Amino acid sequence: MLHHASVGQRSRLRARIAWPCALSALAIGLGLTASASAAERTVTVVLSEEPDVLEPCQSSRSNIGRVVKQNIVETLVEIDPKDGQITPRLATAWQQVDANTWRFTLREGVKFHDGAAFDAAAAVKSIDRTLHATPIECEIRTKFFGGLKITAKAVDATTLELVTDKPAPILPTMMGTMTITSPSSPMDKATNQPIGTGPYKLDEWKVGQEITLSRFDGYWGPKPQAERARYVWRTESTVRAAMIAAGEADIAANIAVQDATDPKMDFSYPNSETSRLRIDTTRPPLDDRRVRMALNYAIDRGALRGSIFSADVEPSTQLVVPSINGHNPELKVWPYDPDKAMKLLAEARAAGVPVDNEIMMIGRINIYPNATEAMEAMHAMLQAVGLNVKLKMLEVAEWVNILQKPYADDRGPVLLQAQHDNNNGDAVFTVYNKYHCEGANSTICDKKLDQTIEAAEKATGDERRKLWQEAFRIIGDDIIADVPLFHMVGYTRVGSRVNFQPSISTNSELHIEDITFK
Amino acid sequence: MMRYLGQRALHSAIALGALVMLVFFLVRLTGDPASLYLPIDASVEQRQAFSERHGFDRPVLAQFASFVGDVLRGDFGHSIRKDRPALEVVLEAFPTTLSLAVGTMVIAVVLGVVVGSLAAIRPGGMFDRMSTLTSLGAASAPDFWVAITGILLFAVALGWLPTSGTGGWQYWILPLAVLSLRPFGLLVQVVRGSMLSALGSAYVKTARAKGVGEATVVFVHALRNSGLAVVTVAGDQMVGIVNGAVIVETVFGWPGVGKLMIDAVIQRDFTLVQATILVTATAIFVLNVVIDLLYVLLDPRIRHR
Repeated sequence: MLHHASVGQRSRLRARIAWPCALSALAIGLGLTASASAAERTVTVVLSEEPDVLEPCQSSRSNIGRVVKQNIVETLVEIDPKDGQITPRLATAWQQVDANTWRFTLREGVKFHDGAAFDAAAAVKSIDRTLHATPIECEIRTKFFGGLKITAKAVDATTLELVTDKPAPILPTMMGTMTITSPSSPMDKATNQPIGTGPYKLDEWKVGQEITLSRFDGYWGPKPQAERARYVWRTESTVRAAMIAAGEADIAANIAVQDATDPKMDFSYPNSETSRLRIDTTRPPLDDRRVRMALNYAIDRGALRGSIFSADVEPSTQLVVPSINGHNPELKVWPYDPDKAMKLLAEARAAGVPVDNEIMMIGRINIYPNATEAMEAMHAMLQAVGLNVKLKMLEVAEWVNILQKPYADDRGPVLLQAQHDNNNGDAVFTVYNKYHCEGANSTICDKKLDQTIEAAEKATGDERRKLWQEAFRIIGDDIIADVPLFHMVGYTRVGSRVNFQPSISTNSELHIEDITFK
Repeated sequence: MMRYLGQRALHSAIALGALVMLVFFLVRLTGDPASLYLPIDASVEQRQAFSERHGFDRPVLAQFASFVGDVLRGDFGHSIRKDRPALEVVLEAFPTTLSLAVGTMVIAVVLGVVVGSLAAIRPGGMFDRMSTLTSLGAASAPDFWVAITGILLFAVALGWLPTSGTGGWQYWILPLAVLSLRPFGLLVQVVRGSMLSALGSAYVKTARAKGVGEATVVFVHALRNSGLAVVTVAGDQMVGIVNGAVIVETVFGWPGVGKLMIDAVIQRDFTLVQATILVTATAIFVLNVVIDLLYVLLDPRIRHR
């Protein structure tokens, strides 16, 4: 028995126990080191929601795009977030052959994750899948290619030809949204197993828990630092921020302004959204330009900024941010001038305009942080200049019915709280839908504006830019279709292990390849 | 017994059928799924094409006929959002909710019964006062606030527990603690009340007069009579959690059925709403039968009837 053992026996026993202990401690130590180094090279991203699907055709939806776009599936070209310029990705060059035809030179030596070669035939099949495989619900098709017929053809292995049914001068910009998938992707149904050419391939999607990607060794481009990426999701912004603070995750792509409390971790970035009050110009008294001017003079944007809106937002003059082709830098931010607003309303009243009609302000709960407070403040500002305004806040499902056509015939004058996101390089993704007579969300109908929009859609280069700028001048100065508010910002929290700089594209994509370790 | 179960199953099936029908029509009153699924600047034509693809343009009664036919074949439809069979999505989420509910109730019942019984031994004493204060606080604390505070304190400031997510035993502590608070608080109050009346009754006096030990008197004789009240309250609380512990699922990122249902309603994913309600309703019917059987077990009077 041990308590009767001699000193010598005891020390031998101790030695006998000590060796295995030391060995197992070493083994545990090595194991820990190995797992620690694997963990060191894994980037954990926390999203706001679990992606519903991982179908590349839906990668324009933000939480899907942040996983798949440019990580798993790539596009032919990319839009530079700094200046909206088109840069090469899977295509190295492109040129317009005639008004309706573009040719793209494809990068050589590129492989899909399943080993298939990326060539013009593969690109054609993928483009056909996105544009024509109707059993697959595809937001890219609906959002960016509606109303345009494209026929894709492989001229040779590295030359892709796209023929459109009408001139598409910004087809290369539009191709920045078109993700390219392997020819083995099913044509008759959506897939949750995206196979692309990107620097990462999908490892596993544990539904409800996490998605993991691992580095693709056969990637054509530079080898990124992160070996693996892990995506988790938490609906509550406070929890996302807490996960970064506790070291459980490295990047929370978007957190609420009230959680962005640590300047060392939290970065604001222009999130490409622009907020406004949309004026229904067809209903009196909003059909009177003086009343619409008065609305703009009555809003104290300086007071809203830094209080209800973040101090980092920029007052806007139009619905696109300055990096978008067609933004008009000549337009001026409306000054706050309640006296002028009252004078204009008095003039309109004297001219027989029913200025005292009740104007309905319709907001959408949580459309952006403090959305309700913003509407309440603006409601008070409009009341202060003598307008008869009433405020109603709606859930998204009801709000969408007001935003979209067909509009109710018996509707009254409405100021609708809205925001619009365009980080796709060109004003075309904004102007037609929002301001053309036929636009799905338009509440104005102006012949001169429609002609300018139609001319801009066909134009290229400088002429195109000038035509869009002219369109924004007509919208903002001649018609006054909106109460423009702010170019909005988002907040990203980045943990201490990694370097990551959010940009205007962070709203829809998150390039794991750009993340480096400290 | 078998006859009783058969009757209950039949009644439940009828009620379930009526519920599913009601949900089918009610959910369609909320509006057009196309306007929420497609991008907000989708054209009228694109929205019409979407409705045609998914059959939402057909008369509601025709949609209902197809739905009933499909359900009879065991097909609960395809979730538009998830692009997968709706039943599969729900059945994946349900075990999470069920395990949360079971874990919560085990903790709440054990703690509630022990604390409630001890409080009843000396009414007005220090332990009784403390337990009343604690249980009232627990029953009335807003779980959203408790959850977030718990994360900030135990995960961020102290670093003892993970903030959220699923995994080993550490991941269970905060969600179960938050979920158990309300049922625990209620149960302490219920057990205390019914124990007080039981301890004052004649049969307890008889037991004491016969020289039965105090622990046996409290935990065997008196507690058994309080069992009915415990089962009623605990059953009610458990039904609430099986129906979805939305706040805990949302805050802690637990992929349960409650958040799934709320999201499906908000996004007008009709088939998913129907499948979620069908599964949770079935579980609740089963739970009610279990509760009834527990009554029978606890109360001989019901058994003899």
